Amino acid sequence: MIFSEIFNVLNIGLVVLDKDFKVTYWNRWMELSSGIDKADITGSSIFNYYPDLRTPKFLRSFKSVLKFGNFVFFSQKLHRYLFPFKPVGHLGLEFENMQQSCIMGALRDENNIIQYIFITIQDVTANVAYENRLCEMTITDGLTGIYNRRFLETRLKEEFDKNKRNYKPLSLIMFDIDFFKNVNDAYGHRCGDFVLKSVSAIAFSAMREVDVLARYGGEEFSCLLPNTNINGAMVVAERMRRSVMEHKIDFKDYSVSITISLGVAEADKETSSPGELIEKADKALYKAKRSGRNKTVAVDQQL
Amino acid sequence: MDNNTSSFTDLEIDTFQELMNIVFGNAAADLSEVIDIYVVLSVPQLKMIKAAELPEFIQNNIKEDIVYNTIIEQNFLGNFNGFALVVFPRDNESKFITLFRENKDMFYECDATGELEKEILMEVGNILIGACVGKMAELLNDSVIYEPPRIIVEDIQDSGVYQKLHDPKNWALVLKSTFHFEAQDLTCFLFLVTNNESIGWLKKALNDYLRQFE
Repeated sequence: MIFSEIFNVLNIGLVVLDKDFKVTYWNRWMELSSGIDKADITGSSIFNYYPDLRTPKFLRSFKSVLKFGNFVFFSQKLHRYLFPFKPVGHLGLEFENMQQSCIMGALRDENNIIQYIFITIQDVTANVAYENRLCEMTITDGLTGIYNRRFLETRLKEEFDKNKRNYKPLSLIMFDIDFFKNVNDAYGHRCGDFVLKSVSAIAFSAMREVDVLARYGGEEFSCLLPNTNINGAMVVAERMRRSVMEHKIDFKDYSVSITISLGVAEADKETSSPGELIEKADKALYKAKRSGRNKTVAVDQQL
Repeated sequence: MDNNTSSFTDLEIDTFQELMNIVFGNAAADLSEVIDIYVVLSVPQLKMIKAAELPEFIQNNIKEDIVYNTIIEQNFLGNFNGFALVVFPRDNESKFITLFRENKDMFYECDATGELEKEILMEVGNILIGACVGKMAELLNDSVIYEPPRIIVEDIQDSGVYQKLHDPKNWALVLKSTFHFEAQDLTCFLFLVTNNESIGWLKKALNDYLRQFE
């Protein structure tokens, strides 16, 4: 009596199955989360109510626990959830289903023979929501909302490795805002911040979904273009340059005209590292600056 | 077993080796059934060593550059108490992942690259450890609780593995075995390490086991 009461007041789900997957115990938490009454589900195969549980992984885990009496951990990272329940509370709004961390283990009789399997279900939705927020903060630039330099360098390394393995083209655009110091000096730093945000938004809208735009530092930006050769990258870069030039940026009573200079490089056979690709695009950007700004220049382009 | 196991009698050593042969034989057969892949487990090697020598022992026994291996660690609690390590050689990792991965395994954008792979290797490690520890506990009439597996990514020398044994001067009983997934030509290594307290219980359990045949 006392023990069954404990199981009913626990803030975790507890399910007990027999060797034929039939439910022999379904605690109060499971009733409340699933909307399925204990009396209805007891004696039925769990798959009658949750057919999607019948995966090779679930069956393998079940067999393993029956054979070895070990525990199987269904991590939220890998499985998301075992039972598709609605999330609880405002933190759950970003998830379609409650995120769960589940453990499966064996229950033995007095002769030490495994007779039943238990599954505990813990709601970890709030933890995952917080974790996602923290994770986003580590990869996003606080001012502009686009990716930060760290994320770009991580992705660049991944794409560079892929490029070397699969010989798929990979290009990089480096660009910065022309005479940005003058904007700060003339209109103040708040206007400068607004310009940085606006340029990020304009450049972002000129990109494709697969591209990665990041603030590289100060008024310098970088755009990674997977599966794109130098000609394709030049088209994207020119689109960005024109979009920024054609946009008037309005801040309070001012209307600011902004241009950007862009350098474009492709990771060819001679490019030995992600750092070298950045250097090449940087060199092209320097050329664009030196030749009068508001220009798109490819690394090997003769001016 | 090493000669420095003064606390074990010859009969106990022979019994334990015999028991381990049974345990690992059963574990291999049941594992093959559970994961639908034919698995061969090598005859386990037993060794009593000082806890402080454990990292070096493990490093010498896998004959791989350990920095580049994924090592899964899992603690188990019971009278038979300790931790297990599964070492995946670098070249075999991706094959293991392909073997156990399901199409629906997906990650959020924010998850770091390689997290999914780590989770899959932890799942594989959990089954392999559970098979061996579970069978051993069953044979010795023990009931074991498992902690979730985790990944040790650093060099094992710096991983603090032997600090778990409380006192590096203590003895540790180490079992080493190799899993070979024959059709896929995949290999990984298992180390089971138990501490001083378990050794006392183990001696008693071995004597109880022997008494059955008297």
